[in-house]
Amino acid sequence: MAPVTGTLTISGSSTVEPITSIVAEDFKAKNPGVNYTVDGPGTGDGFALFCNGETDISDASRKIKDEEAAACEAKGIHYVELKIGIDGISVITSPANSAVTCLSFLDLYALLGPESQGFAKWSSANALAGELASLEGFGDSHAPYPDAALEVTAPGEESGTYDTFVEFAITKIAKAREKDAVTRPDYTASGDDNVIIEGVSGSDTSLGWVGFAFADENKESVKLLEVDGGKGCVAPTPETIASNEYPMSRPLFIYVNTDKEATNPAITAFVDYYLSDAGIAAVTEADYIALGADELAATRATWDGH
Amino acid sequence: MTRLTALDLRVAPRRRRREAIVRVTFAAAAGLTVVVSAAIVLSLIGNALSFIAKVDLGALWSDGWFPRRGLYDIKTIVAGTLIIAGIAMLVAAPLGIATALYLSEYAGRRTRSILKPVLELLAAIPSVVLGFFALTWISPNLIQAFTDAPLFSMASAGIAVGILVTPLVSSVAEDAMHAVPDYLREASYGLGARRRTTSVRVVAPAAVSGIVAALLLGISRAIGETMIVAIAAGATGGSLFGLNPLAPGQTMTAAMTALAIGSDQVRGSALTFESLFFVGLLLFVMTLTLNLASEAFVRRVRRQY
Amino acid sequence: MSATPSAADLVALRLRGGGFDWKSYVLHGAMLFAMLIALGILIVLLADVAVRALPVLTGRPIDFLTSDLSSRPARAGIAQGLVGSLLLVLFVAVLALPIGVGAAVYLEEYARDTRITRFVRTNIRNLAGVPAIVYGLLGLAVFVTLLGLGKILIVGGLTLAILVLPIVVITTSEALRAVPGSIREAALGVGATRWETVRSHVLPYAAPGILTGTILSLARAFGETAPLLMVGAVAGTFSAHGGLIEQVTGPYTALPTIVFNWAGQPQDDFRSLTAATIVVLVAVILLVNGTAIVLRNRYDRRW
Repeated sequence: MAPVTGTLTISGSSTVEPITSIVAEDFKAKNPGVNYTVDGPGTGDGFALFCNGETDISDASRKIKDEEAAACEAKGIHYVELKIGIDGISVITSPANSAVTCLSFLDLYALLGPESQGFAKWSSANALAGELASLEGFGDSHAPYPDAALEVTAPGEESGTYDTFVEFAITKIAKAREKDAVTRPDYTASGDDNVIIEGVSGSDTSLGWVGFAFADENKESVKLLEVDGGKGCVAPTPETIASNEYPMSRPLFIYVNTDKEATNPAITAFVDYYLSDAGIAAVTEADYIALGADELAATRATWDGH
Repeated sequence: MTRLTALDLRVAPRRRRREAIVRVTFAAAAGLTVVVSAAIVLSLIGNALSFIAKVDLGALWSDGWFPRRGLYDIKTIVAGTLIIAGIAMLVAAPLGIATALYLSEYAGRRTRSILKPVLELLAAIPSVVLGFFALTWISPNLIQAFTDAPLFSMASAGIAVGILVTPLVSSVAEDAMHAVPDYLREASYGLGARRRTTSVRVVAPAAVSGIVAALLLGISRAIGETMIVAIAAGATGGSLFGLNPLAPGQTMTAAMTALAIGSDQVRGSALTFESLFFVGLLLFVMTLTLNLASEAFVRRVRRQY
Repeated sequence: MSATPSAADLVALRLRGGGFDWKSYVLHGAMLFAMLIALGILIVLLADVAVRALPVLTGRPIDFLTSDLSSRPARAGIAQGLVGSLLLVLFVAVLALPIGVGAAVYLEEYARDTRITRFVRTNIRNLAGVPAIVYGLLGLAVFVTLLGLGKILIVGGLTLAILVLPIVVITTSEALRAVPGSIREAALGVGATRWETVRSHVLPYAAPGILTGTILSLARAFGETAPLLMVGAVAGTFSAHGGLIEQVTGPYTALPTIVFNWAGQPQDDFRSLTAATIVVLVAVILLVNGTAIVLRNRYDRRW
């Protein structure tokens, strides 16, 4: 294929950023006339730019929300959604925290949900956990929790990782209890995954959540907890995430602005490369989990047919 | 013999024209500085007013600073700023004044030739570097070793800001002490006082206005410091109101940085773009007040001598 | 003997030995302690950063200096930061130097001491004390948004130039003020106009001071981060663009912004990369500052 020229502006999820960055570098090596900019302010911020027509491709660690899709439509922006990989959300604590090895969705809601504002210690959530114990389908409660300081470092609301965590662990219980589906506001929020790893590893009885790839890379600094989503405690591994046995595995997407393709052939060529075997290998190079053969074929079919 | 009249003393027209052009150009350059000031004030006020008009005023006195949830609790970030500036001055004031006193009254050529470059070197180090140092060395070795604080804390950022500000305080305080005229010292020594008495009871009180000016400048610099707190104080996504220095916290400058790296560039329903300027205006007013106060004290020193 | 000792008594008491003067020792000790802390912090900081940077600086130094940003730490380099910082400093020099010197010359040589000139002087002093991030806001509001220029290097250059301008004015003013009036009078006495006086008599004598001040403010601009983040220096990766025109009208980064971004990267290897970048950054700044100080000492005239 003859080399193309053009400019690619890509923004969005800080989780997907490393993958797209690798693909962009390799793509440029084959097509020197292409210039790119890739950054990762967060899935939400990425969509804000994308639906304002400022970016060509948006990385996302969750599906586009209804409000965002409406914003895109209001600006006349057409796009195609392509699943490119899988990641898990890992709940992490300090390696020094030996008292906790598994948490269920019930526990996560009790410790991190909207009703937990002000819980300075793990044990403060005991009462709430007791109330929740009657709810079915969210795993077994692991209360009583240790009587230790609860320091939470986790993604902020611009992050798709935040949204996905809320979707998995908080939303259904919140609805059952008629509360807002948000986490407690009083924690150290950061879009930087390294900040989260550092924050969690920096104190003995910390708690947080972050993409599996980042957690796995920093295995020496943090302890990955098992999660019980109603079917028992499952440890996060590439296998359990790929097979969906791990209850918090989530797909990673790229959203491509199809209107811009007409004037910018670099976009088409780039996505072609992204979905090719050479390009999609970036997913595993960045320590994420590759799509299964069927899913990859489905994505390619979506792209070819758009 | 040609008679010279006053008209002959006038310069040739070409030179006069060139002189006029040069004068106007330079005046324009000076005028540009005023334009810059006006631009700063106008852009800050304009967007800040837009923010006040649109924001739900209750959000300005809520539980914490979470701009993406529409909570813009001002006291959270002001408290964070003041706590970090306070810790910074706890470091910079003694270090700065002590080094200034030594340089002014005690130092011989050799100590001076070591101490001055050390302070100038510290002053040259960019704040990003100090932020990295705070995160990777100050926090684990000075804070976490003695308390059970998390890695990101206002204390570690505060200490780093103190290091940043020390050369400034030292330099201004030293200038103030240097400005104390020698006849005062000579009078003191003439009465038989020793160096300590002269320094502490004569020079320092005489230079007090200048020392106060130094401290005010230091506080102003500490309040305006951005990169150290953005890297080391944590809470970049948002922060609940808190006064514990051993916890993470957010300052006005860190809040602005967090907004800028996000979607503030997109103006829309969220008020993040305007909130950026609102906080900026607050910061500008605070530092301007401190700087003007500092100048007033420096004028007092000049008037005295 | 009177109730209060006279001066003679005090001196006599001192000379004949009046006990151990522990307070002096305490004061001396406190000051030495303060100096040791200042020195110690500097040494610890430089040493800690240098040690962290060793793997990169000894392992792949040339590669590090010539590679582009990458999300693979083994391939990441600071070439784009070096180019960006260099271009930004050039912008600052070209813009801030002439305007700053011009404004200072006007204020020192031409302007009469009216309320307006006093106001302008106070205004410049205040501008010098405004936090850097506020200049970033100015750049964002005026250049990026109002003029719609976007997040390009020119905007970063303009913002930094405005930031540095007051400092250039102040240091130039001081250098001009240090030139004795007799020099000016010599020129005026033979019929030179103001500008001719300044050009041929004042500026040459003030040049070393002006140069030193400018170099120091360029070093300051080199290390600034917050304003660049406000006006949109790239926070991720981007490809190196083509020629000069594309470079200044496209996305950019600088060494300090690279430090900030890498300080928050998840891989351990990025820690070494951050430290290595800091080593380069601090080395350049110290070199520039050192040069300025050497120049100042060499050309420092005694009147």
